[in-house]
Amino acid sequence: MSPAALYLAPPSAAPSNDLLLSRLGAYWRALGVSDPDQIVALSEQALRRMPDSPESPDPLMGALAAARELLDDWLARTLDLPRRSRALAAARAALLSGAAPDWPAALFAPPGAARDMADALRAAVADPAPASAPGVMSAQRIELFSLLDPLRRWRRRGASSPSGITPS
Amino acid sequence: MTPSVRPSAKGHTLRRLIFFLLANLTTLIALGLLVSVFQSNGFSPMELLLLLLYTILIGWICMSFWTALMGFFTILFGRDRWAISHRQPATPPPDPAAPPPRTAILMPIYNEDSERVFAGLRAIHRSLAETGRLADFDFFILSDTRDPDVWVEEELRWQDMVRALDGKGRIFYRNRPENTDRKSGNLEDFCVRWGGRYRYMIVLDADSIMKGSTLVDMVRLMERHPDVALIQTPPVPVNRESLFARILQFAGSIYGRMFTAGLNYWQLGESNYWGHNAIIRVRPFLEHCGLPKLPGREPFGGAILSHDFVEAALLRRAGWEVWLAYDLEGSYEEIPPTLIDYAKRDRRWCQGNLQHLRLALAHGFNGLSRLHFSMGVMSYLASPLWLLFLLATGVEAFIQTRQETIYFFGDNWMPVWPVSFAVEMTTVLLVTLTMLFLPKLLALLLLLKDSRLRRGYGGMFAATLSVVLETVFSVLTAPVLMLFQTKFVLAILLRRAVGWPTQQRGDHMTSFKEAALAHGGHTLTGIVAGVLSYQYMPAFFWWFTPVLLGLLLSIPVSVLSSSIALGRKSRELGLFLTPEETDPPPVLCYLDENLREVDPVLPVLWDQPASRFVQALTDPYVNALHLSLLPESEPPGKRRRHYLEGLVHQLEEEGPDSLSATQKRDLISDPDTLLRLHALFWSRPPANAGMLP
Repeated sequence: MSPAALYLAPPSAAPSNDLLLSRLGAYWRALGVSDPDQIVALSEQALRRMPDSPESPDPLMGALAAARELLDDWLARTLDLPRRSRALAAARAALLSGAAPDWPAALFAPPGAARDMADALRAAVADPAPASAPGVMSAQRIELFSLLDPLRRWRRRGASSPSGITPS
Repeated sequence: MTPSVRPSAKGHTLRRLIFFLLANLTTLIALGLLVSVFQSNGFSPMELLLLLLYTILIGWICMSFWTALMGFFTILFGRDRWAISHRQPATPPPDPAAPPPRTAILMPIYNEDSERVFAGLRAIHRSLAETGRLADFDFFILSDTRDPDVWVEEELRWQDMVRALDGKGRIFYRNRPENTDRKSGNLEDFCVRWGGRYRYMIVLDADSIMKGSTLVDMVRLMERHPDVALIQTPPVPVNRESLFARILQFAGSIYGRMFTAGLNYWQLGESNYWGHNAIIRVRPFLEHCGLPKLPGREPFGGAILSHDFVEAALLRRAGWEVWLAYDLEGSYEEIPPTLIDYAKRDRRWCQGNLQHLRLALAHGFNGLSRLHFSMGVMSYLASPLWLLFLLATGVEAFIQTRQETIYFFGDNWMPVWPVSFAVEMTTVLLVTLTMLFLPKLLALLLLLKDSRLRRGYGGMFAATLSVVLETVFSVLTAPVLMLFQTKFVLAILLRRAVGWPTQQRGDHMTSFKEAALAHGGHTLTGIVAGVLSYQYMPAFFWWFTPVLLGLLLSIPVSVLSSSIALGRKSRELGLFLTPEETDPPPVLCYLDENLREVDPVLPVLWDQPASRFVQALTDPYVNALHLSLLPESEPPGKRRRHYLEGLVHQLEEEGPDSLSATQKRDLISDPDTLLRLHALFWSRPPANAGMLP
């Protein structure tokens, strides 16, 4: 298949800085950051983290993964959540759903200043399931009827089948 | 603790005695009439076959007839003192100071229309909130959905519902990684994981709607009767607009309440479970309703498909009571909109019901549980038996036409005239027809007693006309359904796939092509049977015309009855009206409002993208939400990683359309792959994607 026919463009081994900043800028905007200065600052932070990002040899992908990691680090610190957890993903979803509209400002605020925002986020995170309260539900024994039952009973002399069902 | 089986009240025994005596006596009388016709010249093998088939079929009709008649008298006299809603509790009422029991409302879903599912749940939620008892209930959307687009849509709709209704900690959602054992496995998973939190669970279907006050009443009844494990409510069909569905809704509504009252008359605390719109006591369900696999291959072996009957039988076996609360209103469901969709639903249910043939004879079940199993089997086996009966009748008629009448025997000089059995045969026919059609008349008579109900059905004249037209329609469609069900039974027995696409739940019109494909065989059968019977058995032909007409007209009847325009027109004319149409209960109005007006809280739901699957890869919010809802799991092994890597490359090169639904699901089920694809799509957006997301 020729590269022109590919669904996604082939990766660029050495993308220009402008391309990196442009894609990162688009990504930050999609996350809800609208201030151009904040976008530049966040993009530069992400680029600085890039070498730490082990996800891909593709620099553009690495830069975007680093941007996400940057946001996750901050969220984990603010909400005191473990990294790489479902709870952190839920917090990210709550943040991006508009539960805390001015979160980009809080990102640049001193530590501890985002307490209200943290409370709003915690309130917005929905639990998909309650705490488990397990029960045991074992398969019931159903003894099927068979015309050969009397013969089998005589042969087994009352020995029961190990499975939940006595086969017919 | 399992309660001891309470000795049946004398009244209960008497009721069953009366019912079965009447049913058996009527069967014997009808059979006696036929025997008197056949025995004149001794029984031929064909006559014996006819007698056997007639016994089974007339027995089945008699059960149904007497159920309807008992229901008629129950409703006529206005009160059934042994109904679960009126019965005095055997134990003192629960302490009013005790905290109210927790109840889980469960909606198991599988690739359903998410918009309709959540609109229904919101309507139930609102209706429940109006009772002031919302805090006693939790909602669970138990998804077994495999389609990745529907899966993501469900997650968004759940999140939207939680936001809109402030449902944090009350409205839950989970999607099972594997849909083991289908619906019964889905419910079992709930019981095993969260069952300990709840005293009761109310099981719904994707198209169920229930009034809040009904839900509260169900819990109240369970609290009053600690020896009851399950109460089934009779769901009334509603909301469809096609002519076919409106006719069925009318029939289900006007005759249904009489039949359910009749069922309760003789079933009492040994009733059945219909799989949804029922409340279940969680503890006995956990202890006694774990379903085993049946030995052997499909269709009779393997996982139990129609689990509801079996669960009711297992509860009864353990000594718990199972009731049908026939007089509890506010329980609704939606039905298939077209004849073809109705048949498709039958195909799904047929195998599960035939499987019950083995269970009906299994050791340890109660007598009535065996009867429930047998009735389930008969609902599908009746069709091939009717077909066989018709064929045997045709053959017998053919044999009769070939026999020459001999007027002079031996030395007799006086002719011996053949004995006519016209009176007996006409009586057999009249008895059968009376038992089939009298319940319809009785249902109409009940309207005379209740003016509110009479108005609900559009008045006495409109209701009578609707019953007549419904009867004509059911006569026309009965032979078609008979052939459909016979085909399903044979296909299942021969382990052959029928090969139909999934059933469409929403209103839609059947195209001529679809009808021709589905009913072409029926029409051809009608033509061949008509020509043969007219040619060789002209007398039989005229008796056969109702069946022939149904088959010959199957294509136009199927197309026309699927028409929404005709459905609406019939409503304008006041035909097939139901009380739920003339004066809709608020909960149905809420559903309608939710489907028409509610603006989602989440902006991502304002537009419908081409693919929610792609949106889960591109949209940062959808991606994060989906990731947060994935179950915790072990990292994939090496082989699985290679498989996912291959899919990622396929997606990169050939796009999402090249992937199957299963492959797409695999991609978005793995957290690392999901994050990787998110970064991939943002770093190298597809050429035609414009600005992501």
